[in-house]
Amino acid sequence: MDKIVAQYSRPSHQNEFYSEQEQQDLTETLPPLSLKFALPPVANPSAFLRAMTDDHSNPSCPIKLAHGTTTLAFRFQGGIIVCTDSRATAGNWIASQTVKKVIPVSRLSRGEDKPSNEPTPGLLGTMAGGAADCQYWLRYLSQQCTLHEIRHKRRITVAAASKILANLTYSYKGYGLSMGTMLAGVRTTASFLPSNQVGLELTSTAFIGNPQEGPALYYIDSDGTRLPGNLFCVGSGQTFAYGVLDANYRYDLTEEEALALGRRAILAAMHRDAYSGGFINLYHVKEEGWVHHGFDDMNPIFWKTKLESGEFSNVTSEL
Amino acid sequence: MGSPFDINGGACVAMVGKDCVAIACDLRLGMQALTISNNFPKIFNYAPSTYLGLTGLATDVNTVSDLFRYKVNMYRLREERHISPRPWPTCPVLAGINQTTGKPFICGFDSIGCIDFAKDFIVSGTASDQLFGTCEGLWEPDLGPEDLFETISQALLSAVDRDALSGWGAQVYIIEKDKVTQRLLKGRQD
Amino acid sequence: MPGFDFSNYNRNAALHARGVPLPKATSTGTTIVGCIYDNGVVIAADTRATSGPIVADKNCEKLHYIAPKIWCAGAGTAADTEFTTALISSNVELHSLSTGRDPRVITCMTMLKQHLFRYQGHIGAYLVVAGVDPTGVGLYTVHAHGSTDKLPYVTMGSGSLAAMSVFESMWQPDLNKEGAIALCSEAIKAGIFNDLGSGSNVDVCVIEKDKPTQLLRNYEKPNERGEKERNYRFPRGTTAWLNQKVISKEDMKKYVTIETLSGDDNLAAGEKMEVDV
Repeated sequence: MDKIVAQYSRPSHQNEFYSEQEQQDLTETLPPLSLKFALPPVANPSAFLRAMTDDHSNPSCPIKLAHGTTTLAFRFQGGIIVCTDSRATAGNWIASQTVKKVIPVSRLSRGEDKPSNEPTPGLLGTMAGGAADCQYWLRYLSQQCTLHEIRHKRRITVAAASKILANLTYSYKGYGLSMGTMLAGVRTTASFLPSNQVGLELTSTAFIGNPQEGPALYYIDSDGTRLPGNLFCVGSGQTFAYGVLDANYRYDLTEEEALALGRRAILAAMHRDAYSGGFINLYHVKEEGWVHHGFDDMNPIFWKTKLESGEFSNVTSEL
Repeated sequence: MGSPFDINGGACVAMVGKDCVAIACDLRLGMQALTISNNFPKIFNYAPSTYLGLTGLATDVNTVSDLFRYKVNMYRLREERHISPRPWPTCPVLAGINQTTGKPFICGFDSIGCIDFAKDFIVSGTASDQLFGTCEGLWEPDLGPEDLFETISQALLSAVDRDALSGWGAQVYIIEKDKVTQRLLKGRQD
Repeated sequence: MPGFDFSNYNRNAALHARGVPLPKATSTGTTIVGCIYDNGVVIAADTRATSGPIVADKNCEKLHYIAPKIWCAGAGTAADTEFTTALISSNVELHSLSTGRDPRVITCMTMLKQHLFRYQGHIGAYLVVAGVDPTGVGLYTVHAHGSTDKLPYVTMGSGSLAAMSVFESMWQPDLNKEGAIALCSEAIKAGIFNDLGSGSNVDVCVIEKDKPTQLLRNYEKPNERGEKERNYRFPRGTTAWLNQKVISKEDMKKYVTIETLSGDDNLAAGEKMEVDV
């Protein structure tokens, strides 16, 4: 009887605010890293992994990781341009020419990957290094971002999202992760979600206004590095892309110029770097969200660029 | 340090047709990932209708081609006649038409001189695994010069599109008894 | 005899220790066999040459000429079997010219084992030596390190176990020529079908007393490629090209003299060897 009384005699105001558990969830921005991986039963797992996967020092190594890549992203007055190649290699073998190396992050931005003129809200992440590492951990980041949205009724900032990833890679430092990724997004006041979109009853709709973050770009890698910046290129073809970008980049580029520059920088890298190639994947991140600007075969673009503007004069038809 | 065979990249293939042979190579010269040149042909001519394709380490391609040039010249001075395509150690892919018999001839070598006489095709280079596949599927006996050109070109282009270290255009020689046609193919530039 | 310069070997070993892979040589993951019969000896081989997991040559020749009545079947590194047998063949011929007698199988086997022993296994030639000489029929195996064996039936190479199983169950002491050929062929086929390193066709060589040696190239072809139902011929004009150059015979004549000779196949063939008997 006491039990039943206790059950029904809670104070009347009890449901008016978060429970203790809910409060704790809200104060902890991140759940503990409870992911446990089975490690190989050897003395030094990371050295073992390196010995098994490093095809540079041991071309007959049993596990060949997909490595080479060129990815770039830069900030300009109209937002952020994100552009990548699409080649996956395992050693010298071209495993795929149609890899999607731009990954939309966060729940609401998980739209269809079809070209659309309507901007899709959310962040973009790029993939360089181990394909599996990038895919897995960006997916994990996506989960965390979604949880953030549900907990806090607002979309996560790029700064916070990048920090989740950087803390994660740092915690696995030395275990052989291989990833170099860029996170791009625009956080504006529009990122405060109306309550009906979140699916939870809100007790208070008043937020203390965060200053708007604006277009933000971060570089995160498997060493645990996290850098904010205006311009990054990542991957085996990064130097070639930097060459083109550094020569032609200005912050006040028009949208059209910026898209052309991103495409041209990737084209240069695809041409000179053996491990980059395939299709040019181009995105523009604006205030309202990201817009996909095509996944186009580089070869016709290369010959068009060459014939129309006389660039790439190293490729001749002389016999 | 990588294998010397994989530093510079490159691919070469030879095929037999009806009263003709074809030999083709890609044009890339790289330093591992970096493409240094896209105009580095790997096929050398030593006599009318005797062609040699060399793949592997670029410095050795140059050395062997020059050394072979010297040996061929010495042979011509001493014997007062041209060489005909017959095996000679240290060269990977040989293609031509025997001046004496008029028969098409191709052969290949491994790096220590084991000869592979083939009546269909010979492949070499970093894309050799891929070339084995494309040639095995596309080659057929008694192709005329024009059909042989299409077959060898498509076999090579398809193969190098799956190899990171070769490509960037290609050259094809179609060797007939009294005519040699050299063509520069438009290949992918990545 | 020519000597080897081992400086490159030392260089390669040093490079290998630093992680550079050794170049891939064509090796004959092979089945070779030999079997004596009442009036002679039969040797046989498959025709597959491999380079790592790749079949480099689907119809190579693993039966090597030493002398008209001495032949060798080779397994191991293809270039080594090729050049070792060619070297010994030439020395055997010089020896027989200097002695004025037909070469003996045991002489050839001794020259091979001494040569191979000298190189301590670095020459990767594994051979079956067979022949008929004035002392009778000879059949030997020679391993790369120089050890030899003399047996009525022998097998070597990666398919030797499969081939030996055939000999062990079917060999009889009083085989005739046809029986020996059939048995050897069956043993090779056991290698072709059961050993991944062996494949394609069966080559047979029959060496008989007082009869010319018969080389039965592709004696059996149990692995003919199926005919394609349709072809993959590309329509002309499929391949895009940027430039072409045509070198005609007329152009060539400006620089060199060209003579067309008769298309006689035997023009390049060597003359027959003359030996006092």
